[in-house]
Amino acid sequence: MRPRKLLRIARWETTTGVGGLDRGAVAVVLAAVAFVGAVGVVGLVGGVAIEDGIYRVGVDENSRFHAPAAEDPSLAVVEPDPAVVADGRLETGQGYDIYVQETADGTRLYLAETGGEPTEKSRAAATAFREAVEAHNERRMRLESNETAAFPVVVTLEFVARDDADGADADGDGDGGSGGNGGGAGDGSGSGDGDDTGGPGGPSGGTGTGDGGVGVPSLGAFDLFGTAGTAGSPSDISPPFPFQSLVLAFVFVLPLNFLIQAYGSSMLAERLDRRGELLLVAPVSPAEIVFGKTLPYLAAALGITTVIVAGLRWLGGGAGPLSVLAVVPLALLFLATTFLGAMFARSYKELTFVSVTVSTLLTTYAFVPAVFAGTSPVAFVSPLTVAVRDLTGAGVTAGQLAFATGPATLVAGVCFLLGLGVYREEDLFTQRPVHLKALDALAGRIRRPRSLVLVVALMVPFVFVAELLAVVLLFALPVAVSVPAVFGAIAVIEELAKGVPVYAGFVRGRYDRTLGAAVAAGSAAGVGFFLAEKLSLAVQVVGLPEVAVADAAFQTGLGSGSLAVVALLAVAPLLLHVVTATVSAVGGSRGRRGFLAGLAAAALLHLCYNVAVVSRLV
Amino acid sequence: MIDVRDLRKEYGGFVAVDGVSFDVDPGEVFGIVGPNGAGKTTTLKSVAGLVEPTDGVVEVGGAPADARETRRRLGFLPEESPLYEEMSALSYLRFFADLYDVPRDVADTRIHDALDRLELDHRRRPLGDTSKGMRRKVAIVRSLVNDPDVVVYDEPASGLDPLTTNYVVEFTRELADEGRTVVFSAHNLYHVEEVCDRVAIMNEGAVVAKGRLEELRERYGRTEYHVYTTVEVPEAVADDGRYRRVVEGMDDVRRVETAAEERGGEVTDIRTVEPSLERLFLDLAAADDRAEA
Repeated sequence: MRPRKLLRIARWETTTGVGGLDRGAVAVVLAAVAFVGAVGVVGLVGGVAIEDGIYRVGVDENSRFHAPAAEDPSLAVVEPDPAVVADGRLETGQGYDIYVQETADGTRLYLAETGGEPTEKSRAAATAFREAVEAHNERRMRLESNETAAFPVVVTLEFVARDDADGADADGDGDGGSGGNGGGAGDGSGSGDGDDTGGPGGPSGGTGTGDGGVGVPSLGAFDLFGTAGTAGSPSDISPPFPFQSLVLAFVFVLPLNFLIQAYGSSMLAERLDRRGELLLVAPVSPAEIVFGKTLPYLAAALGITTVIVAGLRWLGGGAGPLSVLAVVPLALLFLATTFLGAMFARSYKELTFVSVTVSTLLTTYAFVPAVFAGTSPVAFVSPLTVAVRDLTGAGVTAGQLAFATGPATLVAGVCFLLGLGVYREEDLFTQRPVHLKALDALAGRIRRPRSLVLVVALMVPFVFVAELLAVVLLFALPVAVSVPAVFGAIAVIEELAKGVPVYAGFVRGRYDRTLGAAVAAGSAAGVGFFLAEKLSLAVQVVGLPEVAVADAAFQTGLGSGSLAVVALLAVAPLLLHVVTATVSAVGGSRGRRGFLAGLAAAALLHLCYNVAVVSRLV
Repeated sequence: MIDVRDLRKEYGGFVAVDGVSFDVDPGEVFGIVGPNGAGKTTTLKSVAGLVEPTDGVVEVGGAPADARETRRRLGFLPEESPLYEEMSALSYLRFFADLYDVPRDVADTRIHDALDRLELDHRRRPLGDTSKGMRRKVAIVRSLVNDPDVVVYDEPASGLDPLTTNYVVEFTRELADEGRTVVFSAHNLYHVEEVCDRVAIMNEGAVVAKGRLEELRERYGRTEYHVYTTVEVPEAVADDGRYRRVVEGMDDVRRVETAAEERGGEVTDIRTVEPSLERLFLDLAAADDRAEA
């Protein structure tokens, strides 16, 4: 591939792409991008500020309570009018929810009432006011040079009989996690996964529950307003729903959905009116054309991400190049799958279906795990988790980075490879049905049965991602349901990955429809799958097998603790894959119906293996 | 310059071209004619390196047709030439010149010269705002930005008005006069007859005849005799105060002469009419269909 040609095509794609947009469309796109940016920044900085100024507080500016009220965004300070509490009560409709009256006898707090009873809103306002005062006090104490004096530690020792032989640590109670260097009453929070033990490291010493349940995500590490983790009372524990992760994941994923619409349209436009024919005749390779056309969209994705990251960094976040780097494989995955879809689609209608499917599936794949960035190793299925953790200052290891970005990058590469296989005149400009084009894309890489070793191996990243997606979707269910379900899903996914390329070879006449050829093709497919499947051991990097459904999915056997089991599970799949792929291949050699029957039999066999062998050993 | 041997192309189970062979000498204009679905476009696209043959050999200048260097010296004009309508003619042509590694100053000179020859104005107007004829001219200029030795034109005058069509046909002839090798197909056989040195007649994916026009006439054509008489004879039609009977061969001419004399008339004129390419094409296609049946 020659960079000069690639850049020339990229420049041209940019020109035609921008030239194809009228001012109205450009305005809509810019507005959408601005909206995404605004949502991201606002969401990151303070969550959704729907409570700003919701409670009206009457407090004199000379009062010591004025500053706490003024500092809390949910409280709106209103000039006090002593007349409204002249009769010792504060009626609703006077312009105040609560009223602070300083007298010589002390301070009195009035709650707006109706019929002699404080209203719900005034009670809520009082609670918010109390919390604001506590937060204010915390901040003031933090300024003290003698932190021991500001935050005295009171330890109460109580000796009780131990009545649980197993102890609670086995599942990671996280009792006594470090509260950080602030030296507060750190009670920790860990979920037993090695992540997020302890509190946010703030001076008050953590926000965790210490109950051994689902760990409370640390939301305090990126604390622009300095309000998180300061109150220290149970009511101030951060909510378990990881809102910040959700917003960040949303901000990064959404622009990609816009981009693939434009990208897919551009790719399809080359096909529908045969415009791309002239490019194919020119002395440039299909790869130069495709990557030249892709480059502007990838650059746009990275540009938007960089702007978002820079904006968040400007606001004080911990975002850095790692966040941008994490979006690269995701952007590539969105673009590659859209490219492949655009190669298969026969009309804009079909492309719409394809791009919506791509958007939905990949957004699920990227978004859902990233929401749990601080709570479960499942999160590392998504590259976005790296970005979210980077932004929240949680950090990632090199292994976690490789695990989160590797599968997406590999799948993107394979999608581009398959798409390039049909980037030729007779596939680009014909109205062949999608499934036939898919078979063409696969058959384009097959010359003889042994080619299937490589072709099926190339399918494994798809399988890996599909299985991760299955894990993500099923891991929230009870193990009794999720494990059998994941067994079934995996049997189907893996047999499709092996069987379809074999069938493509038969359909395109790459080998004869004989029993011998079927056995050769099936064996090659099984071996190819087995070899590439071993890559799935990468799940160890992030400790994913600790999640039961993930261990069932990837069948490492490490959970069994037996070396013999691990060894058996390392070899037995070879036999399984060769046998089941051969069953599909024999069916495929007898035509479409034969293939479907063979595939069903192979999947059933695979499921039986999973249930009989894996579930007993793992 | 162009060598096509036993070309076969299958799309799935459909055989588009089967056993096509021909060669084209440098500077020659070679025409391919045939009905829709005869395999003309597939053959031309194989020569342009756009379609990979299922079997057979297609070489241009001794190199495979799909080699990058071959494509660098070849200009291809497809039957439909949709352009990037957002671009102006100038930016569109410059883009393709870049792809062919033509230096900007050389490209500009070449582009403007070609546009001048084709009398094409509005060079900076978006192509979407120009007429079909203008766009076709831009497409032709695009096929020449790399100053190719070989041009492959598929229906170059397709869908154009008669004036523009003549212009394009003449231009094609001029390209050959400049020493370029030209291969093109056309539905309008008159144009092929006007421009081509040699032709191949295709039907149902195969070449049914090829050679110089005179050779084809000699080999496959039937000379017609238009016999004019003063009286009506069987199968004659009235023609400007006389009667005309079209026959093949001198024996038939003598029979018409006898018939006229029997009716008290005489033969006043006998004209020889050579078969047109269209006639040859129709005859050969019909013969091929009969043989197929």
